[in-house]
Order: sequence, then C-alpha cells, then structure tokens
Amino acid sequence: MTASFIRSDDFAAFVTAIIEAGPVYGPVAKRSRFAFARLETPEELRLDYDVSILPPKKLFFPPAQDLLQFDEAGFRAPLEPTEKVLLGVHFYDVKAIDQTDLLFSERNYDINYMAHRETTTIVAANIQTVSSRAFFASVGADVQPKGHDAFLTAIAGGYVLETLTERGGALLKFGAFQPATDAQLKEAAAVNAAVLEQCPEKLEHGTEAIAAKVRAAFKNEAMWTAMAADCFSCGTCNTVCPTCYCFDVHDTWNVDQTSGQRTRYWDGCLTEDFAKCSLGEGACENFREERATRFRHRMMRKATYLNEKLGGPACVGCGRCSAGCTADIADPVRIINQIMAS
Amino acid sequence: MNHQCHWTEVENIFLPREATIVRSVQATPTETHFTLKMTDGQPIEYEPGQIVELSLFGYGEIPIGIASSPTRKNTFDLVVRSVGRVSGAVTALEKGQSVYVRGPLGRGFDLTKLRGQDVLIVAGGIGLCPTRSLIQYILDRRDEFKRFVLFYGAREPGLQLFTDDLTMWRTARDVEYCETVDKGDPSWSGNVGVITTLFPQVELTPETRAVICGPPIFYRFVIRELDMIGIPRENVFADLERRMKCGVGKCGHCQINDKYVCVDGPVFSFADVQGLEEAF
Repeated sequence: MTASFIRSDDFAAFVTAIIEAGPVYGPVAKRSRFAFARLETPEELRLDYDVSILPPKKLFFPPAQDLLQFDEAGFRAPLEPTEKVLLGVHFYDVKAIDQTDLLFSERNYDINYMAHRETTTIVAANIQTVSSRAFFASVGADVQPKGHDAFLTAIAGGYVLETLTERGGALLKFGAFQPATDAQLKEAAAVNAAVLEQCPEKLEHGTEAIAAKVRAAFKNEAMWTAMAADCFSCGTCNTVCPTCYCFDVHDTWNVDQTSGQRTRYWDGCLTEDFAKCSLGEGACENFREERATRFRHRMMRKATYLNEKLGGPACVGCGRCSAGCTADIADPVRIINQIMAS
Repeated sequence: MNHQCHWTEVENIFLPREATIVRSVQATPTETHFTLKMTDGQPIEYEPGQIVELSLFGYGEIPIGIASSPTRKNTFDLVVRSVGRVSGAVTALEKGQSVYVRGPLGRGFDLTKLRGQDVLIVAGGIGLCPTRSLIQYILDRRDEFKRFVLFYGAREPGLQLFTDDLTMWRTARDVEYCETVDKGDPSWSGNVGVITTLFPQVELTPETRAVICGPPIFYRFVIRELDMIGIPRENVFADLERRMKCGVGKCGHCQINDKYVCVDGPVFSFADVQGLEEAF
C-alpha cells in the first residue's frame, strides 16, 4: 500500500487523464440527486454526492443483461467486458460490492457478473455529504470494505489517494501525485472517522444480537403483517439495494422473429409473483403469497440468513431503501429497532 | 479482489447444450413425456433426483427433474406439464426437433444413504417424474437395495403417468407397488383415496428409508404417516419444488428461508428442512 497526495488544482487534470485512458464511471448530478454515470469531463464528477440513486453494482450486474443471443445459426454469449475505472464509491457501497463479489463467485462462478467486475478498478472515496437516511456507521460495523483498489479522501488543499492493489497503483502515473505526509494521512483518517459520527439513523444493537432476535421473530405474524400493511409490493427497496442480487430471466425475439436474446433483469422478492409457480389449468402456488411473508423474507435476508456466509449482515446502511419506499416502511433501522425493543 | 478464478478461464454456466427429441409421448392431456439425446453425442452425467434447466430460445427456461435413471445410458427422460409459455412451446415439439438443456443441476438422492436399506418411495402426481429416476435406478441395481416399496397416487386414473411402467410394476416381483387415485372412474377397480390410504396396506419398519415427492400439501400428511411408523426424519428424503429460475443458486426465486432449492436441493433430508418455516 502506498499513500499519495494530489493538490486540488491538479485533480481535474488527473481525472481528465484517466478519462482519456479508458471509460471512467463516477457520481454525477441527476437533477437534485446523483447517479453513477460515465464521465465525459472532470467537471461532471460530484465527489460531494450524498448517495447515488442506484448503487454502483449496476456496472457489473446491469439492470438488464443479455446472457446469450440466438439466431438461426446458433447462440453465443455476448460478453465483452472492457477495462474501466469506477471512481468515487463510498465505503458502504464497497462493502456491498464485496458481498456481491462473493455471492456471484461462490459455488457456481457467474461469469456475467465477474467478467465486468474483474475488469474494473474501483477507487473508493470518502463521504463528503451524509444522506438523510444513512446508518452506515452502526450496521456491520466490524466488517471492513476490501474490494477497492484505491481510496481517495478529500483533505485541505487536495486529496490523499491510498492505493491498495496493483490496479490502484497504476493510476498514479495519470496525475501529479507526490508521497503523502504523515500529517496528510492523519487528516484523511480523521475525515473518514468523523463521518461515522454523522449518520442520522442508528441501529441500537450489534450484528449478532440483531441476527438472533430477527430470526426468532419469524413466527410473529401479527408483527410482520402490521409492518407490511402499507406495502405496495413495488420492489423499490430491492431495486435500490446495493446487496440485492436476485434476477429474473426472459427470452425476447427481435423483430425478425428468428433472432433474439435471453436476458436477465433485476428482480425483487417483494414483488407479488417472485415465488409464484404455475401448476397448470390456471392454478398457481405462490410460496410467499402474503405481503407480510415477502416483507419478512427481505428482512431475514438482510439481517440473518446470509450473515454466516458474508461475515456480517447483508445490509450496509446506505439508506436507499428507507428513502425510496413510497410508504416509508422499508427502513431497516426502524424495523430492526422495533423488533429489538419487542 | 480476492478470489481464485479469472473470468476468461471459467465456463459460462448460463450456456445450454442442444438435445434432440428421440421420442415424444402424450402422457396425459397436459403432460408430455420426452426422451432426449444430447445432440453432440456426449451424454449428460447425472444422479437420480437432479434437475436440468430446459429451454427453447425465444421462450425461456424451466427447471425439470430428470425422470430416468443414469443407469439407462445415452438418453434421458423429461416430463413436461404444459402450464405456461416455455412448457407450452416445448410440449408442441415433435420427435427430431431440438431443445436446449443446462445441467445436471442441484443435489439428487444420496444413494449412499439408500444402498443396503429398505426403501419406500411415496410419489404424488407429477412427483412420480423425478422419483422415477430413482425407481429405475433401484430396479436396475436391485441387489444393492433391500426391500423396495413404491406408493403412487394420482388425482384420477386418466392422469396416471408412465402407464407402461405402472403395468410392469403391478406384477413385478422386485417392487411392492401400491397405487391409488383420489377419484375413481368406471374403469378403475383399484384403491380410491388420498395417498395416505396406502400406508395401512403394507407393513413397514422404522429402519426403512423414505423418499417423498408430491404437491406442496402432500408432505404434511405423508410425514405424519412416516412418523407413526417411527422412521427418523433424517432417513426421510423430500424432493421439493420451487420456482428454480437460474438453477445455479443466484437468482433467488427458489429460496426456502435461507436455502436455495436449486443448489442445496431439490432433494433434502427432512431433518434438514423441517426447521425451515417456509418449507411445508
């Protein structure tokens, strides 16, 4: 690991240089909010963003991705990943990417995710603005982000760039970096520590206590029914979640009616037909028919089911689901704190 | 990133292989029994109880339990019930046409736990299809197993599957076969009643290994019978069905609590799933 410093005045030239070298994705303004998008100019980059509308996983796990394309001659995988830089990822989203990295590579290695992931250099960045529903400081607090190649922290007069991998180190040649001083490193550490004190929401208990109590609450049907009473089953909480990775697969024809594609789309366990099977003659079996059972399944996934595998909860405290939920019932902090208090 | 593989060195788990339909029989008004052969001549290597994702380009993929035993080489059987877009298109196909398969996928029956034992198979409805892979296996390697009892229940006589097999099993000496239908018709002289009405007809010991597969409601009633015989639940193996979409433990649709049916199952020891609130 090396730590370097770049002056604010030189930063735009650095971003310009990496843009010229290959695709760079970073947070940009989208009306009053922010989204990860391909950067055309360094001015577009908004490292002061609070949280992106969709998590950066969309680069590796796009909302729609062709798994194969077919025509009269046969079929093939259209996978052509390109080397790219993903710049400005907050640490909670790096933690989420660490989770999807594991989940897509374990047991059956999913090339469609991993190819895009392995060709990406991730530059994390410190959180300059805390979003209104964030609770990243109190969830899975002992799990550290590890999938990034470099970490950028804004300090007085410039940025400290800590490079952690070969890929990260390869970025240094694009800018006027100099070795960071101890004082600069100390300041960067203080900046990153300070942001942990600024979350507007907070879980009141540790990971293991939460996991045990949420799991034990499974059969409290009255509670889940009450919590899910206003759920529209829209799946927004799933769609905006950086750790959700469920998908559906559909085939579609092109207009020629002979060629087409098999595509996977983001899916969400809150939607009504997620676990529904056709039995024939119009009959169906929906293994999670009630809203409450779907609502519960999401919380079980986030707070308990995957903990052993992931080494922590499948939630990173970004607050996207809390802010995105129309009925404002998806907030894991409120749900979990209520369960813990029950 | 810390992991072992590199994407250029790994097989794409979503690419299927072509199979040719060598035989197609309309088994019931909604179910078609296909015999398939891999078009490239390389048979798929599978274990009884495993599944494949069956697909047709432009229509999609569906999970189907393999309905024949790996002891019968070169071809394999699938029974497809026409219920939707993919199954509707597949069941319209004829001999000589192609389908695509990915697999085998999932965990089948643990034969090490069945060999040398008395085996009871209880199949309800379309549950006879995946269990037929094991039935054939046992019949083909009969010496490896002790007593073999098979219960099969269908809704009505006209909905019975594998009628050629049933005819054989009724008189076979190497399987004690009992059958029932929920609702009889004038042609039916056999047992009428739900599957549990077969249990009093055969004396079973608590040492028996039981394999059960049927519609969701079936498990609740069959397990009661097995409990009454005194068969420990770790010796009961349930072949479960869910909406297995990707078949490789990613897409999430087939989850029962924290288990993925497509990779952790579809065959589970009852003891392993009885604590899962969403299982039965």
